[in-house]
Amino acid sequence: MATIFKRDFLAYFRTPVGYVFMGVFLTLSGLIFYLYNLQNLSGDLLTFLSQLTLLVMLLSPLLTMRLICEDRQKRTDQLVFTSPAGLGSVVLAKYLAAACVMLVTVLLTNIYTLVIALGGTVYAGEWFVGYTGFLLQSLSFLALDLFVTCFAKNQMTGALAAFGANFVLWMADLLANSLTIGWLADALNFLSLYDRYEPFRLGQFSYAAALFFLTFIAACLVCATRVLDARRFSEGGAA
Amino acid sequence: MIEIQNVSKRYGSVRALENVSLRMEGSGVLGLLGQNGAGKTTLINILTGYLAPTSGRALLDGHDPLMEPAEAKRRLGYLPEQPPLYDEMTVREYLRFVAALKGVTSRAIGAHVDEVMELTGLTSMRNRLLGHLSKGFRQRAGMAQALCGDPDVLVLDEPTVGLDPRQITEIRALIHTLGRDHTILFSSHILSEVQQLCDHVVILDHGQVKLDASLAQLSAPEDVTVLLTVDAPEAAILGRLKQLEGVRRATVQPCAQSGRTSVQLQFHREMEPERRLFALLSGMNIPILHLSRVGDSLEQVFLNVISQ
Repeated sequence: MATIFKRDFLAYFRTPVGYVFMGVFLTLSGLIFYLYNLQNLSGDLLTFLSQLTLLVMLLSPLLTMRLICEDRQKRTDQLVFTSPAGLGSVVLAKYLAAACVMLVTVLLTNIYTLVIALGGTVYAGEWFVGYTGFLLQSLSFLALDLFVTCFAKNQMTGALAAFGANFVLWMADLLANSLTIGWLADALNFLSLYDRYEPFRLGQFSYAAALFFLTFIAACLVCATRVLDARRFSEGGAA
Repeated sequence: MIEIQNVSKRYGSVRALENVSLRMEGSGVLGLLGQNGAGKTTLINILTGYLAPTSGRALLDGHDPLMEPAEAKRRLGYLPEQPPLYDEMTVREYLRFVAALKGVTSRAIGAHVDEVMELTGLTSMRNRLLGHLSKGFRQRAGMAQALCGDPDVLVLDEPTVGLDPRQITEIRALIHTLGRDHTILFSSHILSEVQQLCDHVVILDHGQVKLDASLAQLSAPEDVTVLLTVDAPEAAILGRLKQLEGVRRATVQPCAQSGRTSVQLQFHREMEPERRLFALLSGMNIPILHLSRVGDSLEQVFLNVISQ
């Protein structure tokens, strides 16, 4: 598993994908920081982080689109899926590679925390809760995108489908409010990543929400593994 | 050991494979032949665990790649039709990655990869990006990754495609050498290559095994074929030839000059065709312009099998 993780992680930086993701994310988050925090002379780190959710939604498909779809397109999946590595560990290794790029990128936004600390006060507890919540939400989007791309045959359709899924899940609570069907509204509310992030945005550490995010990630990865496994039976290749 | 037990594979209503069984024990090279769409790649994909069969099972050294993937796949080196290469990696990095994936220990990886590169003639390309390699060297890199981890079973899907004549000779020599202590399943469209390299031949047609025989069996057939050209019209000679004792089949061949006839005759091996033909034709006072035995090449066997 470590072998696949290392290869996939380094592949982000041997191709433009990793640099484009980090560059665009940090540039846009810098812009948000300037417009919201610097122009308003605000030291509100939690609101700043919550505004980055949209960036994660838009950009996380960039990280996941290559993991399964590129292998499938270039037929390198024939190497990986006929190696002694199990399907589950392949999926987990690929997810962790993308998660590490996300983690490094999100941690780099601490440049803005430093700027706030220079001109005001940053509370360690607030920083911890804010970043933990934001990371858990980001990693959940990443897991969802990985799962969705398992259905796609090429990177472009994978990225578009992942973006669509992110958007639907992000909008889930808005949709739920407008629905009259009770059970559907409850289901959408339950799945809303935005709603689960709310306590962290308010500076409260929610164990229930953290557990939900971790379970959501695990469920997406298990489902991704099952989809790839099922493809061996249904069509022309494991991925 | 390679064993395929009653494997069938369907894609919806399409039958790709129908009750295919074959077995190969010990070292040697098994050639898998068939037209495009005969089911060769599907069979290979099932054997390597990339695809699951609809029914039946495949075994590598007694281990099912679906039920015991780690055990089965550790014994497998697979070169697909399109070599599975990561273009952004150098040859050496890529082979180190594959070796680690196959479970070679980090201490042994360096020497193992050097050995594999030497064997496949990639040493001079070790620091080149795979994306910058020519088709021939990409094929070699594919071959090298199949050899990583020193697997007992090698599955090679058209390994000489796209190579220049010198590279083809080298890869064939390598397969021949590896065949001494590996079990190799090798698919190819080049019949002469199969004839040159394989100990055993399996011909697939429309998803079914049409022939499963050793090359020794094929080279000693029951019948012999002779090609005869005589200076006489077809009407005068064909009927007499068909009645000749020992002739199983007579097929008229195209002949450029009018008044002459070319016939391909299939005789029983023990009937001494040349002696009988000479006796017949000299008695009829018909000059023999050409008389030769036609070797029962794999090409003929293949065409006979798929035309049945």
